[in-house]
Amino acid sequence: MIDYSALLYDPIYDVLGVPATLTAGASEVELTVLDETRPKTRTEGGVETSSVGPGAFVRIPELVAKGIARDQWIGAVLTFNGRSWIVREAPVQGSPNGEDLGEVRFLLKEAHLG
Amino acid sequence: MVDVREDILARLLAVVGTIPNIRSTYRNNLNIDETELPSAVVLDGDEETNDSTDLSMRPANRPTVVQMHPEILIIHQDPNVGSELDVLRRELIKRVLNDTALNEQIVKTGRFGNGAIRYLGCQTGVGWLRDLHGGLKAQFLFKYTLRPEQL
Repeated sequence: MIDYSALLYDPIYDVLGVPATLTAGASEVELTVLDETRPKTRTEGGVETSSVGPGAFVRIPELVAKGIARDQWIGAVLTFNGRSWIVREAPVQGSPNGEDLGEVRFLLKEAHLG
Repeated sequence: MVDVREDILARLLAVVGTIPNIRSTYRNNLNIDETELPSAVVLDGDEETNDSTDLSMRPANRPTVVQMHPEILIIHQDPNVGSELDVLRRELIKRVLNDTALNEQIVKTGRFGNGAIRYLGCQTGVGWLRDLHGGLKAQFLFKYTLRPEQL
């Protein structure tokens, strides 16, 4: 069986990953994430608004190793590339080695902090 | 020259510009950047008459009654976008229905003529961008007299 963590995710995160800080309750941990923020538009009543859809991929084994449980993901504050966001949804992406060895895609929203 | 339709739409744009906290106003602009929110967009409305059923000997250039249905879209992005849109909706309806220029000079409602202004309703939608994003599209009806000799 191919080890996707070693052969796929680790090299990708080594090259494209950026340092991040995840704050979930009293826990604050350092992570490596893939910045998935992309241009996004939304049309209401025929008028299109241009914005971004903020997001980030994180490896689930890294979250587990750093003591962040799944029920702590939503509502956590994730800071990377100079911006802070709140995790609003966290769909697990799965992997051929099982979902626990795959990624989670954090869907983010603006953090109105302080 | 008197073009009531154009006067109504131009006045609507001015009226929505007086809504508190609106950052940008447009007429028929279909592309907005998030930095311009909250935004109000006046969309020109369809115009119709009942003249298809009037096949009398009435001269073609006699006045007729027209109904126009312009739409006003309010777009906003905020964690409390539902409540915020309701505040903007209140201000929109109040300002359009009470506007002196529309009622007395352009559409001529009540004792000023046989025109009418009605709020028909609205539709809403929400979704995610950088933040919670929402839109409210309100429809109004304007009934006025089209006088071909004045065009």
